[in-house]
Amino acid sequence: MKISVSWLKDFITIKPPLEGTAERLTLAGLEVKTVKPSQDHKDTVFEIEITSNRPDWLSHLGVAREIAAVENQGVKMPELDTADPRQAPAGWKIHLRELKACPYYSGVLIEGIEMNPTPDFMRERLEACGFRSINLIVDITNYVLIEMGQPLHAFDADLLKGKEIHIRFARPKESLLAIDGRALELDSRDIVIADHHSAVALAGVMGGKETEVGMRTRNIFLESALFDPRCVRQSSRRHALQSESSYRFERRVDPEGADKARQRALYLIRKYAKPRSVFSVIKAGDVPRTSGARLAVSAPEIRRVLGAEIKPHTVHSILTRLGLEPKALSAESWEIRVPSWRADLLDSVDLIEEIARIYGYDQIPEILPVRAPVPYEPNPILKTEDCLRTFLCGAGLFETITFSLIKNTGLNERDLKNTVRITNPMHQDLRWMRPTLLTSFLNVVKKNLDAGSRRIPIFETAQVYSASASDKAVQEHRVAGLALAGQFRRKSWMDEERNVTFFDLKGIVESLCDHLGVRDIQFRPSDHPMMECGSAMTLTAGERSLGVLGRISSETAALWDIDIPVFAAELSLVALAESVIPVRKYQPLPRFPATERDLAVVVPERIHAGEIRDEVMKLAGGLAKRVDVFDVFRGGRIPQGSKNIALRVLYQSMEKTLLSEDVQKLHAEIAEQVSRKFSATFQS
Amino acid sequence: MDSQLALLQDEVREAIARIAHAESLELFRVTYLGKKGKLTLQMQRLKDLAPEERRAFGADVNRLKNEVQQAFDAKTAEISRPNASRDSVDHTLPGLRPPVGRLHPITQTIREISAIFGRLGFESVTGPEIETEFHNFTALNIPPDHASRDDVDTFYTESGHLLRTQTSTVQVRVMKSRKPPLRVIAPGRVYRPDTVDASHSFMFHQIEGLMVDGETTFAELKGTLYLFLKEFFGPKTKVRFRPHFFPFTEPSVEVDISWGSRGWLEILGAGSVNPRVFDAAGYDSKRVQGFAFGLGVERIAMLRHGIDDIRHFYENDLRFLEQF
Repeated sequence: MKISVSWLKDFITIKPPLEGTAERLTLAGLEVKTVKPSQDHKDTVFEIEITSNRPDWLSHLGVAREIAAVENQGVKMPELDTADPRQAPAGWKIHLRELKACPYYSGVLIEGIEMNPTPDFMRERLEACGFRSINLIVDITNYVLIEMGQPLHAFDADLLKGKEIHIRFARPKESLLAIDGRALELDSRDIVIADHHSAVALAGVMGGKETEVGMRTRNIFLESALFDPRCVRQSSRRHALQSESSYRFERRVDPEGADKARQRALYLIRKYAKPRSVFSVIKAGDVPRTSGARLAVSAPEIRRVLGAEIKPHTVHSILTRLGLEPKALSAESWEIRVPSWRADLLDSVDLIEEIARIYGYDQIPEILPVRAPVPYEPNPILKTEDCLRTFLCGAGLFETITFSLIKNTGLNERDLKNTVRITNPMHQDLRWMRPTLLTSFLNVVKKNLDAGSRRIPIFETAQVYSASASDKAVQEHRVAGLALAGQFRRKSWMDEERNVTFFDLKGIVESLCDHLGVRDIQFRPSDHPMMECGSAMTLTAGERSLGVLGRISSETAALWDIDIPVFAAELSLVALAESVIPVRKYQPLPRFPATERDLAVVVPERIHAGEIRDEVMKLAGGLAKRVDVFDVFRGGRIPQGSKNIALRVLYQSMEKTLLSEDVQKLHAEIAEQVSRKFSATFQS
Repeated sequence: MDSQLALLQDEVREAIARIAHAESLELFRVTYLGKKGKLTLQMQRLKDLAPEERRAFGADVNRLKNEVQQAFDAKTAEISRPNASRDSVDHTLPGLRPPVGRLHPITQTIREISAIFGRLGFESVTGPEIETEFHNFTALNIPPDHASRDDVDTFYTESGHLLRTQTSTVQVRVMKSRKPPLRVIAPGRVYRPDTVDASHSFMFHQIEGLMVDGETTFAELKGTLYLFLKEFFGPKTKVRFRPHFFPFTEPSVEVDISWGSRGWLEILGAGSVNPRVFDAAGYDSKRVQGFAFGLGVERIAMLRHGIDDIRHFYENDLRFLEQF
């Protein structure tokens, strides 16, 4: 909101420099964003930002009151016309039954006004505050609005049909042509001001065009009322219609300001529009009695909350300056009276905050809390996640952060059925809470391919979400995803480049499990709706399923217009954390030398390398410390439908040095048995 | 000698004679003697030979291998002589870097902040992102008709839940499940239907902090935040505490830091826990006091690293990610 400094000077004294006042206000919680000259350079304008608990700052009087409290001075009140004319307006009547939506409605009939030009000071101030001058009467209502914070409305009394004013909910299909020219379709949730015939204003939001005050207006009906904040806010939102009036009613106006603002407007109308007659005020409902509530606060309480020692006379002075009329209950405790414009003061802590902000937050000391350590309740998922992130970075993967809200691209009907859906998405297509990270990875791969990247190793840890249609329960599950595309290794002056393969992904997953302390993992072929048939696998540790990995199917990748292989895995962080061995136990280091022997076997394609390795392990009866597959070869002399698998076996005993001939004998026997079992041909 | 082997013998003798620098020495080693080197690979031919040829061939390969190894060792000794020229290794050749990834700058920022608070005894905790109105609003003393509950400010789900708009929800959850004293921080994703631009996103990260104990003062909140900001942004950081309003804290404060020509910048919101929040969480507000703070991770990371557009964080362009 824009505040005119010359206007503030009607109520208080402001000493230069203005920036000093602005800073003191900011440090008291009323933020002055900028201090700038007005457009005509005759005035200075404070651009202020208010917090939602202080709608009383939405006026010059409110800001003046705050400056007075901060700078310890008095406030001069604006001049009012409190005379109550005897003459009642014949036949005029207010019908108000909706006391919740409109607790109080008052109006005054004013006849025979002169539509004189708006006085210069008023026009200049309005313009400095960003208002356009319209005509004298409208300008006066706007002037009072930003001076006192109470919205007013003036109707052209001759254009109202009949003399009865109704405050009621709109009828079905009732419409209103608003002053801004928009035709509003009202419904029974909108509270309106109506004449005998139809709605003439959307209460607290905007008046109607048909009863608007114009240059030819001679008789007016001036409204000053209180409308329910919620009601005004909902009408304003529903009709996408925000006005200076709705802005204030939504945030709550000072209930005792309704009469004062009308009196202030009357003062200005009498002075500048020279009316022939002003009738007595007609009203309905009551001004809610909010003022007068009492709150108590004491020095020990202040000390306990703030941790600062504030002298009792300072407390007393601050409470006085804030208009809270403190009454000392003892040397160290006070009772205050809540003014009508301070509905935000509910508890004693609210008073303590008032005292602190006027005293100055910068005056409160900084103390480091000294406490006994609180025992941690270790969170295994967080620990695993942290460990996993560090490992994957070291393994060459970049961490991404992608949106949890996704499009449905790439997801099948079944996935979508159990997805958590947003009812009010920002973009129509981003309305699913993702059930998997895989589609997000494809976005990232595509984006980086388009940006010219040829090596895309990425990972992310995040929640995935699911809903059950039946009981409306939602679930969140922490997962870690990995994706590899393009090169595994760039070309260097030493090494050739190489593209990623499924086994790079599998290797990272294996090392990851090893690093985390997840033992006895197994990979099993599986089906996955987004993965290529035959390349999808599940990962388990014992009975526990840890996740899936594989190559994204070309049909799925094609949805992103990606034509290179993308390998991806998605692992449950919860299951990983549950599978982590608590402590690694020391294994004694071998004291005797190890011997390596190679073994190459030709086996039919259907035999898996793992089966041979396991068999070798079994046959060696604990003497084989490691069995590594180091070559898989097809073609050449190897018959069609077979493959050559080469293994390196490391023999070592914990009890003695193995003799060469013993190893040779054992190795030969193992080779023989393996060959028989898998109809393999022994090679070397 | 096998003709292929003979050709290799000529090649390798010539190659070793030409070696003048350490890097060509290494290249030679990789090309001929390495695991996939040409000489090593010769041995693999063994299995393709007739058994009677194998012995002779094997002996030839071994002899050649020994010869080359000796020549290589001699050359190595020659090149690494103390009086060898300093320039015998091209020091401008790039090192062979193992491929290493990076943590996202948001994660790095969260880790750093968590480490500082961890040292002060604040434990990291988490909470769900899909929440109830109770945890996100009601328990935090946000009135039923407050504008922030509108669907222009909060995402709602078809199941009748909402996406948390702030990590303050974790305050309530922790208090409901644990007894005081408490010192926790809760980093995580939050969601608000803001129009996306250079400084707004509909998803971003916050870190919530909460301390609850018998007597926990505003002065202690100030002390804690001062320590954090000076440690994170540097000891010369200028900090100011500006009164503000949050329904769940009283007194409330916004903390600004001075940032060069940009002046005072808001960096976090905080305050003493409003007794009404303790009441909602089932704590006795007469017996406990606390403070809470919340900071926007993106904002802090942007300031610190000089990132001009929040959207970079979620686009995950590797050219962006590899900078941190």
